[in-house]
Order: sequence, then C-alpha cells, then structure tokens
Amino acid sequence: MTARIDLAAARVLVVGVGGLGAPIALALGQAGVGTLGLADDDEVDRTNLHRQVLFRDADVGRPKVAAGAEALARRFPQLRVVAHPTRFLVANAVDLARAYDIVVEGSDNFATKFLTADACKLAGRPAVQAAAIGWRGTVLAASPAGAPCYRCIFEDIPREDAPNCAEAGVFGPVVGVVGALAADLALRHLAGESVSGTLITFDARGREPMRQRALRARPDCPLCGARPEIARVDVRRYVADTAAHD
Amino acid sequence: METIVRIPAALRPLTGGQDEVKAKGGTIGEILDDLDQRHPGLKDRLVDAKGVRRFINIYLGEEDVRFLKGLATEVKSGDSISIVPAIAGG
Repeated sequence: MTARIDLAAARVLVVGVGGLGAPIALALGQAGVGTLGLADDDEVDRTNLHRQVLFRDADVGRPKVAAGAEALARRFPQLRVVAHPTRFLVANAVDLARAYDIVVEGSDNFATKFLTADACKLAGRPAVQAAAIGWRGTVLAASPAGAPCYRCIFEDIPREDAPNCAEAGVFGPVVGVVGALAADLALRHLAGESVSGTLITFDARGREPMRQRALRARPDCPLCGARPEIARVDVRRYVADTAAHD
Repeated sequence: METIVRIPAALRPLTGGQDEVKAKGGTIGEILDDLDQRHPGLKDRLVDAKGVRRFINIYLGEEDVRFLKGLATEVKSGDSISIVPAIAGG
C-alpha cells in the first residue's frame, strides 16, 4: 500500500544541521516537503563526516547551512531550502519557529533543546526533538498547544557535566536511525496524525533496542502546566548554572 | 524479590558495562539503595535530596514514577524499571 500526502505547502525548520539534522533533512526532502529551513552557525569539520551524511570532504570548513542547502538542492530540485546561518538563539527562536509549520530539532546541546521547547510553545508550533549520544538516542514530539513538552520529562538543564557528542562520540548509524524517527514523527504530524506526547528511546546495544512510550503532561510543568512560569524566552534559563534549580 | 533495572549507556560504566542489572527492594527508593550497594555511585547519578533528579526519568513499566509515588512507588515481582536520562548530542 502506498499513502501520499501533499507536503508541497509544508514548511519545516530543522534546528541543528549535524548528525541528526542531515538524515532529518534528507527524509523530509525525499518525502516531498516544500520548504525546509536550516538553522546552524557551525562549519563542517572533518570529524563530522562519518555521521553527517549531507557533507563531503570538499565541504570541510564551509558553513553547514550552505553546504547542506547545496546538497539538498542537488538531490531535490523542487525543494525550497532557506538557510539560516545562525544558532537558534533567544533573540530569534520564537520568530524562526513562527515562520514554519513545525520545528524538528537535532542540536547537540541542552541550551538549544530547552530553548526550542520554550520557543515552540510560545510560537504555537509543534516540536519534534531528537538527541543521540554514543549508541543511544531519544525522540519526542510536543503539540502546538505545548503539552506535554520537553520540560515535562526533562525539567531543566543538567547542572553537572553531561557528555556531549564531541566528548563521548556518537556512532554514525545511530543518528541515522534517530534522525529517521524524528522525521517520521514530523511527517506524521504534517499528515494530520496526533503524535504529540510520543517518546521513543533507541539503544543500539540494549536488549530492547527501541521503545515507545506515551509522555504525560506534568501539571506543574513551568512551560505547559496549569500555571506556566515561562511567558517569554530568557537567556538565563538556558545556562546550566542559572537555570531554575531551586 | 529481585527486579530488573535497565541501565542507559551513559551509566553503564558504573555497572561494569551491563545494560540490565538486578536489584532488591519493595519500592523504587529501596531498589536504588540496593543498586548503590552493588554499583557504588549509581544512586547519586539518579537522585538528589529532593528525589529523582530533574533531568532523569525513572519508568516503572510504562509509567514515569513522578506520576506515581516517586521514590515511594511500590514495585511488584516481575516489574521492570528503566532509566531515561536527558541527552544532548547529534
């Protein structure tokens, strides 16, 4: 059976054009999404190439959004790619989110993950948030209404050192799987399916490699709870030392 | 009564690389105490003075223990416990 939905009018913002952003963008382009925004301020490093499948050796040193936009244009001539050569920042996050139908975030840091959750809620946009490290990854989807959200399950930025991919490494095939899962949730949302509250964990070396759970909205969530505290994005919330750890 | 606890990759250095370990106890808190005896340092990575750390989730079956009774959540024979930490990377 084949199912087709018209995605030509769909606008998707990909936050983080790295190991996760690459398979996310490729899957969305392949599916026929009309407009893809790419937000990242980083440049392609040689150590990225084993997992960031949008890039080639010749791209080393180039801005990821420029190299990624070219790679996507070569592959999908009908796709409109909008390059945003910037990090997702307090100053631009809500406006960027509002300019798209859905945000798919695959960044490599907690600050961007929490900012994405907050900005999407404030902009009224759904978010799919993906992360991968080592052999493991998580993907979750939050609704336009914002509940449940990333802060329902991960309340604040970890204060103590948590490994990131630059320190702990991330294995190429893992971001392929996790990125594909994130793209799948985004496409299902665009197709009208309710995916909000889906949490998928993937562990390539675990006895149970993939598990899907229903995320529950936390009544006291500071972002989407009954009395939300987060009414605007504030830079102090995205720094581990000053995040609300009362 | 022993319960299976699934350990995320980030914490496996504390369990000798094992992705599943056994622990005894009638509540989540007791199980974490037993885990810490068997794998010193593990409990501190999961809880602080206020309970389950804010960027860690402990699931009893399919349910986040925050929505049950937290560390006082009772555990029955045959239950499985999973730990889902916040991760960043890509």
